[in-house]
Amino acid sequence: MSAAPKPRVAALVLAVGLVLADSSIVVLALPEIYRELDTSVAGVTWVLVSFNLVMALAAVPAAHLARRVGPGRTAAVGLAVFAGAGLACGAADQLGTLVAARCVQAVGGAAAVTAVLELLPATVGSEQRAAGLWAVAGATGAALGPAIGGLLTELVSWQSIFLVQVPIALAAAVPILAVARHEAATGVLSAELRRTGRPHVSANLALAMVSAAIAGALFLLVLLLIEGWRLSPIGAAIVVSAMPLAALAGTRLGDWVPSARARAAAGAIFVSGGLGGLALLPKATVALTLPPQIMVGVGLALVLSALTETALAGRAPQAIHGGWTISARHAGVVIGLLAVTPIFTHDIAEQRKDAIDAGTAVILDSRVPPLTKIGLAQKIESRLEEERGKVPTIGSAFEPLPEDPEERDQVVQLREELQDQLDRAATHAFSPSFAIAALIGLLALLPIGLARRVEL
Amino acid sequence: MNPAARGQLLILVSVAASLLLIGVYLAAGGSSYEPAKTQDPCKHRPWRNPEGLQEIIQQFTLSALDGAACELGVSRETLAQALATPESRERFTRRYGIGDAELARAIRAGLVRAVDDAEAAGALSPLVAGPLRSTLREIPLERAIELINDAESIFEQAQSFLGPAQSLLEQFLP
Repeated sequence: MSAAPKPRVAALVLAVGLVLADSSIVVLALPEIYRELDTSVAGVTWVLVSFNLVMALAAVPAAHLARRVGPGRTAAVGLAVFAGAGLACGAADQLGTLVAARCVQAVGGAAAVTAVLELLPATVGSEQRAAGLWAVAGATGAALGPAIGGLLTELVSWQSIFLVQVPIALAAAVPILAVARHEAATGVLSAELRRTGRPHVSANLALAMVSAAIAGALFLLVLLLIEGWRLSPIGAAIVVSAMPLAALAGTRLGDWVPSARARAAAGAIFVSGGLGGLALLPKATVALTLPPQIMVGVGLALVLSALTETALAGRAPQAIHGGWTISARHAGVVIGLLAVTPIFTHDIAEQRKDAIDAGTAVILDSRVPPLTKIGLAQKIESRLEEERGKVPTIGSAFEPLPEDPEERDQVVQLREELQDQLDRAATHAFSPSFAIAALIGLLALLPIGLARRVEL
Repeated sequence: MNPAARGQLLILVSVAASLLLIGVYLAAGGSSYEPAKTQDPCKHRPWRNPEGLQEIIQQFTLSALDGAACELGVSRETLAQALATPESRERFTRRYGIGDAELARAIRAGLVRAVDDAEAAGALSPLVAGPLRSTLREIPLERAIELINDAESIFEQAQSFLGPAQSLLEQFLP
């Protein structure tokens, strides 16, 4: 092996973090993609769903491939495919092209991530340490993804999310190429081909359920912040960065508790509790999303790493069982997205109607002179027409403000009351979906409880 | 602390933190943070401080909308949105399968209820209310919509409705 261990470990960890961040990195860009590619909410969800679905389907076959042709070669080719598809994603000008490129990206990503798990033990010297590193890299990538995606969307464009990944994936592939060359030269695989054991069913099932809950949390929170509360992508990125920061604290907390089952159970409870808090937001204020986000962040760090370690502990070959965990996680993400999307799109439509009725009641009951009311009602009506199907912005309907100070105060008060009704509607529209995601997270306690006690 | 106790403590902390967060958000009104519900237009809503022409006009419009919405079986807010523009009116009549004649009847009934409410609140004298009611029962649909949107004209142009009662208008309007 010609590459020094440290750069290679960094490259391997980077590859895992990069690929697994991709399952959530576009979350904050979805509203932008939704507008630019002129699609529907359900349509744009496929930018996320397609990647996760293909990852779920390709992970185990990719792991078998890594075992047959060599993990070095598989990881290097996987990263190259991932990078190439990233270029295609960045160049896509239609939803169909973007979704197709995301599918190819997922195939490359699945190959890279599972092959890396086969390479890590030899590089770090222990299967247990390798599994821990691999799990933490994956959890960190998934948690950091939305914030990074949001920053890139706001500062550059949604396309830059994919284009930035290209050099990173290629850089991660460079130290792995040494292993690939070694494999090609010697024809010796990095691990002996052993019979594959049965996957850890309860740990993988719990992983799928918790991932469904976490995907729901990220996806819904981002949509609430951007589409409901009208934050910019960068604003939303800053807000949701509370989750990865809390995840770092969760990783430290995890080090203090050796029992994987206790960490998994506590993590699932933290995630569900946080989601329960998001379902019960008492006001449309960013600060109130922070305590629930911290709980979800701490929870996801605890539960994802604990369940991944449990699923891999004592099982060989690692790549195949790692493939099963990847498959379970991404299947969970797909289930989570597909479960909550129809619910919240229906609820948004319902709440939009309720918001308009409540807003009309506010206008009718206000002290603003009748002719001003009629003018306002007509302007608001046209804003609603322009933003059909979305939570409307109504601020511009109040411009210019009346010159008469008394009337101006009345109009300003009316605008605030109307905005309050819209905020209530937007927030309330997401509540049932957050509650369902919380319930899914709680249900994960069943397979966690059933899991064989594995003390790591 | 032994490893098993640490695990139990972590689970306890997670449960306590979850219950605390949910409890605090519930106590702060998290379960009722939703848009205000619309009220039943058939229920009488007392006029608030019917003093001054502007306030009377506001209350008159609301009573008229309530009366018409009650007749049509929709909320006051839905009807107000429907009457905002000709396009919104068309959408409304198509959605609810309401013809122009039925809409006109409902709006006239709403205007008459508004006169009743104005009279009951002491904002309109019985001497003015009587002929106003008779006139409103006959007005065409477009004019009725105009009036419900701009009740001020009822009071400003009352003479055109009241005919012989016009000389009494200033005495009986507050």
